[in-house]
Amino acid sequence: MLECNEIMKTYGRKTAVDHVSLKLEPGRIYAMLGPNGSGKTTLMKMAVGLVKPNSGEFLYNGNPVGRESRREIAYMSTEPYFYGWMTAGDVGRYYGDFFEDFSMERYLYLLDRMELTPEMKAKALSSGMMAKLKIAVTMARKARVYLLDEPLNGIDLLARDVIIRSVLEECADDVALVISSHLVDELERVVDTAIFMKEGRLAMMGDIEELRMRQGKSVVDLYREIYGHGGEETC
Amino acid sequence: MEYNTAIPIYLQVMTSIKRDIVTGRIKPGAKLPSVRDLALQYSINPNTVSRVYRELETEELCFTRRGMGTFVTEDAGRVEKLREDMAQELVREFLAGIRQLGMTDEEALQLLKQYREREKMTGTA
Amino acid sequence: MLKLMKYEFRKTMFSKMILLAITAVFEALFLAGIFLDWENGIVFGVMGLVLCTFIGIFYIGLESLLVFHRDLNTKQSYMLFLTPRNSYQILGAKVLENGISLFLAGCFFIVLAAADYTVAVVRLGGFKELLDMVEAFLTMIQIEVDITVVDSVVAVLEVLALWLMTIVTGALAIVLSATVLAGKRFSGLVSFLIFMLITWGCNTLINHIPELSTMTFTYLVQALAALLLTVVMYVVSGWVMERKLSV
Repeated sequence: MLECNEIMKTYGRKTAVDHVSLKLEPGRIYAMLGPNGSGKTTLMKMAVGLVKPNSGEFLYNGNPVGRESRREIAYMSTEPYFYGWMTAGDVGRYYGDFFEDFSMERYLYLLDRMELTPEMKAKALSSGMMAKLKIAVTMARKARVYLLDEPLNGIDLLARDVIIRSVLEECADDVALVISSHLVDELERVVDTAIFMKEGRLAMMGDIEELRMRQGKSVVDLYREIYGHGGEETC
Repeated sequence: MEYNTAIPIYLQVMTSIKRDIVTGRIKPGAKLPSVRDLALQYSINPNTVSRVYRELETEELCFTRRGMGTFVTEDAGRVEKLREDMAQELVREFLAGIRQLGMTDEEALQLLKQYREREKMTGTA
Repeated sequence: MLKLMKYEFRKTMFSKMILLAITAVFEALFLAGIFLDWENGIVFGVMGLVLCTFIGIFYIGLESLLVFHRDLNTKQSYMLFLTPRNSYQILGAKVLENGISLFLAGCFFIVLAAADYTVAVVRLGGFKELLDMVEAFLTMIQIEVDITVVDSVVAVLEVLALWLMTIVTGALAIVLSATVLAGKRFSGLVSFLIFMLITWGCNTLINHIPELSTMTFTYLVQALAALLLTVVMYVVSGWVMERKLSV
């Protein structure tokens, strides 16, 4: 449903994404793995049109991504991006104003589960709370594709379970989910396909259960093989 | 539930469900949770759950009623057979391990007995 | 589009409130001066109100550029560019909101000035004088209606249109520095030079419009020309954003 062909993006002399082609299918949860600077974030940003590629393109259901595809693709960035004056409630109303698939009811429910209240000032939140707010507002949409950039970053173990649960709840036959992370462990049991990015290139993409069955390897094992070290210490 | 990430997760979940069937925690003929609910319960991918149900069906431990969900077999004989199979598998693994240590099967039996005795004495049984 | 405009207004609401508050202070000073026969009050009140008008209108335009710069160059850009809206709509909402704000502020200050003038005439000269003035005014209108009222309003509108054009030129320069010039050396300086060049070009163009039958008509045509150039630059900015902008 979402695919890119030979997509490439450079920043000055540095090539952030180097001729990557891949295709996401509905009904699957993908882990996008790789150390910082491997091109994960840039790739995701190109998928929603925040970043324009130098060459190649991203297609959603056969059409170039842009205004229309953003109705059905929900993206959550690593960095906080809400306006300084906003409370958690304002953030929800903003999403409600722009996204038809946003449910205020589900948002309030998710906020509650993340132990946040609509009155909280976005600016005053700790990084962990901000991460939860971003997840809550993103997962309160009923999108067809979710692109979550480092949703588990800076989040304590207990909250990780809450987040993984909210992600699993949105999983359906017609929905594709991509979770980028350098915390490989956390995603092992949740995802079914791993996308390994290395130095801007697609290093490997494959079904994780197949991998375990055929080679008896975990994703962490494979991560170590591809990058020469475990995932944890890269950040 | 803790997983061994080098072994397919569907196998690990299957084992967990089978254990519940054998011990009677899941009764014969009982309805199993929906794919979605089980995925949330075990915090795993829904596709993995679908696969678990598919495999359990091919082993005739479960069956699907269209539009109703997945149910555990009502065949008591099949459950009994499952218990035997699982026990057999444990014994096989145990003996394989013992043999790897270069011990004989008689020594293994002896070990089992001794272990039982010690458990009785310390009251940990 | 209206929703985008709502949030554009929300971003500049605070400074508009402050402008309103400061204006209210000077207005109070002026009225106090009038009614308490306090000359200094009148002088400072009038000076303050005139300053509020010019600095206010200047700042409303400038702030929209500051906001636009922030919307392109910080992570807050995601708030706009993640929505299912294209660059034309996003920039259009900004220009429209700013244009309307400028227009309303212009009207507000004109009406306030007229009201204050009336109050002053009534208070200092009494009602008789006002009636005399209105009568004289009415006789005058029959002869030179254009120059007195309509003409000055159109002139103010032209100033606002020229200012809006300058702002959109600024927006274009900001777009260029964030797109084609991004990451290049002196991108800030180059985009400023482009801004100066375009502003100069546009003003030259408008000044070359020949004088027409009446002053009003000339002002009107100049204002329309400025608005037309505003639209052209808006379309160019949107086009560049849609193709090149990475936030």
